[in-house]
Amino acid sequence: MKKIISLLFISALGVLLLFVVASMPRMGDPESPTREHVIPRYLENAEEETNSPNVITGIILNYRGYDTSGEVTVIFCALACVLAILGREKRGRIHSYVDRSPVPASPVVKTMVRFLAPFIILFSVYTILHGEISPGGGFQGGAIVGASIIIFTTIFGLWEASRRIPQKFRVPLEGSAFIIFFIVGILGIVGGGNFLTYAWPNIANNLQPSVVLWLTIIVEIGIGLGGAMVLISILFAMMREEEAIAPTA
Amino acid sequence: MGAYRHFPVLMITIPMLGAVLLPFLGYLRKRWVATATLLPLAVSAVLGLLLIGRIPADGYLSYELGSWTPHFGIEIRVDYLGLFMMLIVCGISLLALVFSMRYIEREVEGPKLTAFYVLFLLLSAAMLGFTATGDIFNLFVFMEILALSSYALVAVAGNRNAVRAAFKYLLMGAPSSIMVLLAIGFLYSVTGSLNMADLSTRIAESSYSEVLIVAYILFVIGFGVKAALFPMHMWLPDAHSIAPSPVSAMLSGLLVEVSAFAIIRVTFSVFGSGAENLIGGTVDALGIFAAAAVLFGGIMAIIQKDLKMMIAYSTISHIGYIFLGITAFTAEGLAGAMYHVLDHGLAKACLFLCAGSFIYVKGYRRIDDLKGAWRQMPWTCFAFAVASISVIGVPPTAGFISKWYLILGNIEAGNYFYVFVLLSGSILAAVYCFRVIYYMFFQPPKEGAWESRTNEASPSMLAPIWILSFGTLFFGVFSYLLIPSLLKAAAFLL
Repeated sequence: MKKIISLLFISALGVLLLFVVASMPRMGDPESPTREHVIPRYLENAEEETNSPNVITGIILNYRGYDTSGEVTVIFCALACVLAILGREKRGRIHSYVDRSPVPASPVVKTMVRFLAPFIILFSVYTILHGEISPGGGFQGGAIVGASIIIFTTIFGLWEASRRIPQKFRVPLEGSAFIIFFIVGILGIVGGGNFLTYAWPNIANNLQPSVVLWLTIIVEIGIGLGGAMVLISILFAMMREEEAIAPTA
Repeated sequence: MGAYRHFPVLMITIPMLGAVLLPFLGYLRKRWVATATLLPLAVSAVLGLLLIGRIPADGYLSYELGSWTPHFGIEIRVDYLGLFMMLIVCGISLLALVFSMRYIEREVEGPKLTAFYVLFLLLSAAMLGFTATGDIFNLFVFMEILALSSYALVAVAGNRNAVRAAFKYLLMGAPSSIMVLLAIGFLYSVTGSLNMADLSTRIAESSYSEVLIVAYILFVIGFGVKAALFPMHMWLPDAHSIAPSPVSAMLSGLLVEVSAFAIIRVTFSVFGSGAENLIGGTVDALGIFAAAAVLFGGIMAIIQKDLKMMIAYSTISHIGYIFLGITAFTAEGLAGAMYHVLDHGLAKACLFLCAGSFIYVKGYRRIDDLKGAWRQMPWTCFAFAVASISVIGVPPTAGFISKWYLILGNIEAGNYFYVFVLLSGSILAAVYCFRVIYYMFFQPPKEGAWESRTNEASPSMLAPIWILSFGTLFFGVFSYLLIPSLLKAAAFLL
């Protein structure tokens, strides 16, 4: 009975959504309402107004920076959720499931990971710093750093990884994304504008573009750093949990 | 323009900053975490109090983030109802936090305490941002923070039941978030805007009525799940009764109301002017569900054996009240709904905190075990009785005022059936509340259940309970402080 009700509900919803998609403006229609209202200003003026050649970066960090500051808080919140349920990894020496795995990682894999990890991190630095020019930015760069550490941890074990990125180093940096957004926001107020104003009205006009550029880069770095640390901390918390579940050898 | 125009954004971001800095403090000095959590919320509350009187009942404070004109950037738009809601959020969060400083140590293991306080602050900050925003995508962003932190707060006790209840909540909550996102996408695709005020003018001119209707339906379902409106309430009894009591107070006293407030925003600020004929059918359906919620919640509350379960079902019933105020589409109804948000927030938070102190002192959860509780815990029992009277809606409590205006609004709208439902909801509430009061005060205790001398919970737990129950009386007696402005603000919104 329950299954039939859910099936009916889901199919009703599906029909409703298909019906809506059919009556929505066509994709790519130059006369659709989305093309006429907000978008033209973004496309025409974003480079000049936000001082970033990549329009997307201009939109997410400047026009809609407040949304992005909320999104980085969502990421931080995910970490807080994991820690509230699993708890942090314990300080000191830790043996996780990977450390005690009966099948040791092959030397080929170990060498490759050891060789590639610095390059991956270097690439992520490029991704973060070039965010305002080319595709990429803080979120992507942070995810790449996180991924490199995840590879390292799965091959070398939690003990090796957490020795290189200890808790005392991660804890202050986990929230850096929002902290930097907040500082930039307050600077906007101090500079005579509103919260999160990048172009401070109180300073000379010829200085404004470079201030905007630097603030954008700083925000990108903050997002990258914070995102990476959150990913790493979530991974470490989950690995400690795996140790508790795994049967002791 | 004075400095006060920055206050709303600071009210939102300072608790968020506090939440982000808290883990570091927890790493250095664990003992200070609880006290440090109070600080940002207190700052927010003070800023909110300073805003009183600066926002006229028929106006709003608009704040352009990043100095971009509203529909290019994001706007924070605090109107009278928004400020009212933000102050309720600040006040009840602070009181629940004071209560939990002592209580939570028993339910949450030491290392996870910091994470608990971080989530608590994030939940409060998200609710503030959620009510203040004037941008519909920003609404979604804060809804994500709010939802994520509340899932984890339900599970924070860490035992199997808590995790199961949280997972159930997550399974209901995640699709509802997706529905809200889809609805925002639909609205954007046919209007090209995300700003609420801009949307309402563009919706009035739009020719895509099918898309708009479905978008509204998705909004109602999405926020309806978060608000636990009747057919979408399944997650609520488990989550609210299993969560630690201060968390239950937050979820039941604030979170469901804030979600209902989101529906007020979407209904009146986005669709209300110009698209009333489009959403009429959905609003009528909403009214039927709300009426069903009032009766269903009341009946289920009567048959519960667990005290927190009973309070949770009572919340389902009272959410129905708020929605009946919304669907009346009259100023009285809307003002009644907003006043009910205040009254229900205070009373439910008080009831859950009382249930929490029974659990803390004696470990009793069942209603039967409360027989004769008066002998040992007179202060908690009196506060419980006052809050229950407000839940029933007996004068001079705030519950009476809000129900009075809800009924007036529905009479004006000509919905006499709903008037009947509202009145019978009060009778049901009387049945389930007076049963507990009767047990507490007029039944002999079981052998050895309660000591004959006063042995209460600590003052830091008793004080929030008493402030809340005093609040229900205060806003009942001095309702003339708020009602005229609320009526004016509601008329402005309509």
